[in-house]
Amino acid sequence: MRPAAALALLAALAATALLADHWAATAVIATLLLGVCLRAPAARRRPYLVGCAVTAVGVLLVTPLVVVEGSHPLWTGPVVPVLGQLDVTREELGSAAVQALRLAAVTLAFAAYALVLDHDSLLRSARFARRSALVVALATRLVPTLERDVHGLVTALRGRGLEVEGLRGRARLMSPLVAGSLERALNLAEAMEARGYGRPGATRAPAPAWRVADRFAVAGAALLVVVGVLWL
Amino acid sequence: MAVATVEDLSFSYTGDSAPALRGVSLAFEPGEVVLLSGRSGSGKTTLIRALAGLVPHFHGGRFSGRVEVGGLDTRKTRPAELAGTVATLFQDPEDQVVFGGVTAEVAFGIENAGAPPDEIPGRVRAALASVGVGHLAQREIGELSCGELQRVCLASTLALEPSLLLVDEPTSELDRDGAALLLRLLRRLAQERGVAVVVSEQRLARTIQVADRVIVLDEGSVRLDASRAEALRWYETERPACLTPLRRSDAQRTPGETLCRLEAVDFRYGDGPLVLEDTSLELRRGEIVALTGSNGSGKTTLAKVACGLLDPAAGTVERSGRVAYLSQDTGRFLVRERVDEEVSLTARSNGAALSALRALGLVGLEGRHPRDLSSGQRERVALAAVLATEPDMLVLDEPTRGVDPEARRRLAALLRMETQRRATLLITHDDDLVTAVADRVIELGEKVDRVAA
Repeated sequence: MRPAAALALLAALAATALLADHWAATAVIATLLLGVCLRAPAARRRPYLVGCAVTAVGVLLVTPLVVVEGSHPLWTGPVVPVLGQLDVTREELGSAAVQALRLAAVTLAFAAYALVLDHDSLLRSARFARRSALVVALATRLVPTLERDVHGLVTALRGRGLEVEGLRGRARLMSPLVAGSLERALNLAEAMEARGYGRPGATRAPAPAWRVADRFAVAGAALLVVVGVLWL
Repeated sequence: MAVATVEDLSFSYTGDSAPALRGVSLAFEPGEVVLLSGRSGSGKTTLIRALAGLVPHFHGGRFSGRVEVGGLDTRKTRPAELAGTVATLFQDPEDQVVFGGVTAEVAFGIENAGAPPDEIPGRVRAALASVGVGHLAQREIGELSCGELQRVCLASTLALEPSLLLVDEPTSELDRDGAALLLRLLRRLAQERGVAVVVSEQRLARTIQVADRVIVLDEGSVRLDASRAEALRWYETERPACLTPLRRSDAQRTPGETLCRLEAVDFRYGDGPLVLEDTSLELRRGEIVALTGSNGSGKTTLAKVACGLLDPAAGTVERSGRVAYLSQDTGRFLVRERVDEEVSLTARSNGAALSALRALGLVGLEGRHPRDLSSGQRERVALAAVLATEPDMLVLDEPTRGVDPEARRRLAALLRMETQRRATLLITHDDDLVTAVADRVIELGEKVDRVAA
């Protein structure tokens, strides 16, 4: 399948997960997307899956405490300034689970985009807003690059006998990391300019023609969103 | 007719009081290979940027004089519009990669130059084939070794079919064979296609052999512009240290107690193939051991296992005393905002920090931000930071990368002078340094296709 068709399917799955009211539909979509992500090598998929799990669990834990809903209390806690009485009801827990599933599905759709799709083909097939598509493609590469920079910094400091431990230790890496990213971005921008980026009259290598399966995938993506809005 | 001319060019970066280039006048003819040499921070990279039009358009600053490339005034023509006439291979290939795949990467410049779409695939194939990496067309950039990536980046520049090719420190990350291959390729390009090739290099001895002409920059000014033969004579009288091989200044000494012992070590990254298999190594106080081998042979991995930065899958590792490790490309991984703070961060004492700054020739740069320094100077800052920890076992991974001959000579002398204090493991492609300082040499065979570390 061409990456553009696969992207349409991923976007449709993410949109349907957001629109669907039935938790089971969202859970099926999230499971499907998780299956797609698991096709990527373990080392590459790990940061995406950890990020997804952390945000989803965070939403699951925080939502019942800040939402006031339902009449079947499961736990009643202390009174907290600004928030008032803390409690957790069955309805709040159900609502939090749905929100967490939705967030997980959307995050997994992005992870699948980052891990499985051929970004070069996607970018080259962009018929409009090519600059924006390039920015998105470069931003997608930022995650593994940052991960590598963190590893390099930690190794360099450990090599000098300085262990980077805990949140505070990691937080201290922020400044050199940002400086390093900016420097890398400048170097890349310089190299792109030197290779003619931004010059008027740019052309593109011919892309392979769309196959029937690709057209079906795009039609299926549109249908999925409609079904999500009307029945799920 | 000259491909490029530089007339009375002076340039200062914004915020810098000293000019990076002063009154430079040069001309570059088709078919010649020009070696641009000079100490770290002498203005080589700035001159390359000026020829590519990136100075002043991209970097800003005070610019006077005139640079013309292919008849175009670089002050009036943006670098993107010069692409095709001039092409640049930057120092760090990883920082110039836009796409994830080899084919898309090579096509990028051709597309920007507005080549007819039907011609693009053929030009991509031809460019890759011309540098001997046609077989990599379908590969992902992330899977390539240093040497392969360097050649893919060179193919990207050649695909533009430039009349002027600018190459900044092309051999700094390559092993001996990779560097020789790349230099032969540049020579062939000049001969067969009439491209004017300008190569900025610190490793003079091997690059000068392919050059027709040598330009020496000194604090932004042209100190010498001469044919290879004349340049060789000039170096012999003015800077003999640059061309003469490093010499050993002391006799081999008897090593002391064992500080590190690896026995039958295996190592693999994740589920990948074994990078180290049944590998043993012993390091004793008072000796310098050089670890050599081609890119991807597992040298860095072995060093990291020896330092305790990686745990082996099998085998035993014993270590005693303080260990310090200088990683590859370490100039990227400096964390403080002043050179002196960086060196003091992990120094054993203030005296150790000062002594390391002096030993590496960094006096006068203490207040500078490390990221404002040239790559060679940064490498020296990182090295000073490691030496200031006064380790019992010192592991240096490519410590002469981007370092000028004078600083390299100083490093060799320093390593020999302090030999007795510690055990030193040196990973390098710099044969000259190995000859000058190593008591033992261990050459690793090729185990993997890529540098996994």
